[in-house]
Amino acid sequence: MRKTPLYVLMAAIALVSLVPFYILLFTAMSPPSVSLADSGLLLRHVEWGNLGSAWRHSHMGRAMANSLAIMAGSVGISVVVSAGAGYVFARVGTWYNRLLFSLLLFSMMIPGIINTVPLYGLMKSIGGINSLGAMMLLLATGFIPQSVFLYTNFIRTLPRELEESAVIDGCTLFGAFWRISFPLLAPITSTLIILNAVNAWNNYAQSVFFLQSQDRQTVPIAIGRFVQTYGADYTQMAAAALIGMLPAVLVYFVFQRFFVKGLSAGAVKG
Amino acid sequence: MIRPLRRLHERLHRFMAVPALLLFAFFFVVPLVRGVAISLTDWTGLTPSYHYVGLRNFIDFFQDRRALHALQVTLVFGLISPALLCVAGLLYALLLDNRLMGRGFVRTFVYMPAIISPLIMGYVWLLLLNSENGALPQLLHLLHLDSWYRDWLGSPRDALWVIIIVNLWQFVGYAMIIFLAGLQGIPAEVTEAARIDGAGYWQTVCRVTIPLLVPAIRINVVTNLIGSLAVFDVIAALTDGGPGYATESMSLYIMRASFNGHTGYATAVAVLMFVVILIPVSVALRLMKKADGDS
Repeated sequence: MRKTPLYVLMAAIALVSLVPFYILLFTAMSPPSVSLADSGLLLRHVEWGNLGSAWRHSHMGRAMANSLAIMAGSVGISVVVSAGAGYVFARVGTWYNRLLFSLLLFSMMIPGIINTVPLYGLMKSIGGINSLGAMMLLLATGFIPQSVFLYTNFIRTLPRELEESAVIDGCTLFGAFWRISFPLLAPITSTLIILNAVNAWNNYAQSVFFLQSQDRQTVPIAIGRFVQTYGADYTQMAAAALIGMLPAVLVYFVFQRFFVKGLSAGAVKG
Repeated sequence: MIRPLRRLHERLHRFMAVPALLLFAFFFVVPLVRGVAISLTDWTGLTPSYHYVGLRNFIDFFQDRRALHALQVTLVFGLISPALLCVAGLLYALLLDNRLMGRGFVRTFVYMPAIISPLIMGYVWLLLLNSENGALPQLLHLLHLDSWYRDWLGSPRDALWVIIIVNLWQFVGYAMIIFLAGLQGIPAEVTEAARIDGAGYWQTVCRVTIPLLVPAIRINVVTNLIGSLAVFDVIAALTDGGPGYATESMSLYIMRASFNGHTGYATAVAVLMFVVILIPVSVALRLMKKADGDS
């Protein structure tokens, strides 16, 4: 068949993508004494205890709760403030709004790490070190430029008359936006929630600076510290890594299409 | 409702950008401006007092061998990675754009690593590559190819390339998804017309498809340039800058300098890093603007 070489290539790609995950699963679920070669590459003895022990030693419960709180807070804040700002930038075309909008877009070019050192002093002065609340606001700020950009573009495609007719019925424009337009933004909102939730969950470069105490650590910090402490105990490392990635993988399989939609948003007309 | 309150409520919509702008000002603009100011001082971050030192920190950077090495690592990683991601992402997308059974699953698998923390993914690759009981040396042993294995991560010459490959493996799905979206925007008639006129497959790709993919290429190049030049997590997980400081990027260097009480200096390096990112991004944007205009 003509397509056979294509299928071979596709299988090879799938294999390359999946093998590291299989190795992870194997290492995390096998007794430390069993090596990949000894067991003929197959997972024969499942050692659930590895997961429990890694969970306890890395204080994963605490880390998951912290990561979850930071994720929910930062995503929630960024959605609300960005939708509001998107409305203003889409509907109120004054020169300063246009300027602020371009400024936000430009800032997307600046990665967070550049601001981290001066931020440390600032965070200290507001008591933001080891504070989940400050971390939420910090991450939310990081999500604002892209979210505002997508909201602004999307709101521009909605007819103004929607809000204006609600005003005739006695609503304020503020109320009209949140009650009438915001629900229509659901596709973009869900996309942003998914993308930013993953970013918040995975954040390491900022958390390593601002969340140093153990009861404030997030999942990547917990795993990083655990690996640095336990060094070359690869079973424990694998078990911790597996636990840490599981929530993201589950969310990915459930909400896949939102990931694809979110990434593709700007790909066709940039 | 009381009158003044009602009037406030009527105007409230105009102020809906205020919370976002306040956050942005406090957590982004203020540190940026402060950063530029601190970069001209010898502040340690520990004591309240500091001295203005002019451009001393910047001069120090260019006289420090370790710092220049970090700059080199950043440029090698940050320029090669986006190029590889673009090429591999395009090839993946071209393949998985064909009507193949199961291509949906393969797309899902290819993109999966990109949603996982690069730190965790880096640790997973340690499981494969480490010399003690890594999966790769074991596999090579089974195939009687032991001599193929070297401790790449322990070698100053190879370690950075391992990091580049791991990063490519993790984020090729991201580039692929963007190219797939771009490919869907190209009407089938356009490529079919080229084929009927006698163009071969690769000729059609180069002359017809790629010029039409400029918006997708732009997103990929810009996003990956910014991400790769600021690389942190994957290096932290795989080598932590080692062996020695062979794979220490500017972001790791900044973090260490600031943890060691050289806040002023670390901030100056961050300012330099901003320039290091801005130049290639602007050049790429300009080049692609031209390419877009030509097509």
